Amino acid sequence: MAAPVPNLLRQEIERLAADDKRIDGRGRWERRAVDLEVGLLYNAEGSAKVTWGGTVVYAGVKFELRTPWPDRPTQGSLMCGAELRPVAHVKYEPGPPSPESIELGRVVDRGIRESGCIDMESLCIVPGEKVWGVMIDIHVMSDGGNIFDACGLAAIAALRTAIVPAERFDVGEDHVLGVSSTPIMASFTRAGGRFVYDPCEEEELGGDERIHITLGDTEHLHSLQKGLKGAFTPAEFAEILDVARKHCAELRDLVASKEGN
Amino acid sequence: MMGGYGDVQLLRDDGKRLDGRAIDEMRPVEIKVGVLPAAQGSAWVKQGLNVAVCAVYGPMEAHPRKIQRQDRAVLDVRYNMAPFSTGDRIRPGFNRRAREISKVTAEALESVVLLERFPRSKIRVEIEILAAEAGTRCAGITAASMALADAGIPMRDLVVGIASGKIQDTVVLDLDKAEDNYGQADLPAGICPNTGELVFLQMDGDLSIDEYNLAMEYNYKAAAEIHEIMVAALAARYDGGEA
Repeated sequence: MAAPVPNLLRQEIERLAADDKRIDGRGRWERRAVDLEVGLLYNAEGSAKVTWGGTVVYAGVKFELRTPWPDRPTQGSLMCGAELRPVAHVKYEPGPPSPESIELGRVVDRGIRESGCIDMESLCIVPGEKVWGVMIDIHVMSDGGNIFDACGLAAIAALRTAIVPAERFDVGEDHVLGVSSTPIMASFTRAGGRFVYDPCEEEELGGDERIHITLGDTEHLHSLQKGLKGAFTPAEFAEILDVARKHCAELRDLVASKEGN
Repeated sequence: MMGGYGDVQLLRDDGKRLDGRAIDEMRPVEIKVGVLPAAQGSAWVKQGLNVAVCAVYGPMEAHPRKIQRQDRAVLDVRYNMAPFSTGDRIRPGFNRRAREISKVTAEALESVVLLERFPRSKIRVEIEILAAEAGTRCAGITAASMALADAGIPMRDLVVGIASGKIQDTVVLDLDKAEDNYGQADLPAGICPNTGELVFLQMDGDLSIDEYNLAMEYNYKAAAEIHEIMVAALAARYDGGEA
């Protein structure tokens, strides 16, 4: 869908940026309110709902038994996908997965996978024959801006509260899925010439390039993604990385507070 | 799978059902509207363990132009199950079942929405099932009519989706998953609570005419109960909580 009056919106965002203001009144590095609920969907082995400003996403974890890849006979597998269905915004059309939804799923997937928070060997049941496949599906229900961070948060919260349904598959007792860390994503968009954290819908519409950073428990980087047209300097990156550290730590505590309930 | 209909014990010795419900008792229903900020109107319906969420967009320009109607709006309705909504994960994408449910749901809603008020336009109704425990099409229809109301789309009446069925030769209200899988019949209906009209009807299995009449009596009883919950949900959002 063509964005209505993006030029006027861009001008307004630039005008506000000159006074270091944002279109929704937040400070440059301020986050919108985030609410996290876990374990709320009956058929998912792990589930989470994230309400992040006007953005609402659900994530659900399912398990399947599969044969391991021949070159990795003792390792299970992980798959993370996101759907941007037309329910989420007037701009999304029905049809096959868009490049945007594929990028979203893959960026979240990399952050989780590369953090090593799931030990693939622990998903092995019979070497060479039977392993667990873990599938995280993310369902974006309302796109009010910054769906990347909301999806990343929902995915890791659903994983960290997931129960492996071993009894249903007749391969032992149900047990918690071992997830050893909590990778968290922080996203920035250039709006009005400078980067802002947690872009709202208008800033995404009238903004430029975006950067997504996933940090692990020890503040190591696990995934980076630059999206959309635009260029940035190493100094700008250093600045937003510092902001990302603080927000990732806060959100990691939020996930921890929902576990064990 | 079991060998056939009716050979699984679904009624207890005390006449109650496996989850403790009486034969004419529906599962608990909770409803909220205005749950999705990006949508014009939205609703969340929990019926038993089913969760259905619906977003409404529009009225908006209908394109491509060949779908336009000169004298009325068209309803573009999609029913979709999230991959994690079922016991075994389902692959994303539109399947035959989802297409059929989308079609009959659209036709149910077309019977109540005042489409003639919006010529040449389109109203999008997006139903997402997040958890499925038998009865998702009914929860979806209830959610859709609530989301349309939340969007301020004029309608003749709301629509309540509700099903009755038969287990162990006994007519029961609102089948759960086991009863749906191993029961003998399922009769989902879309009922307009004010006019008493039916705008959606399906059935499969085996019912005598007397059993049909009893099942439909249960459906109407439940529709009146659910209608109260629907009105309260709208009042909670728009009328300071006074129904």
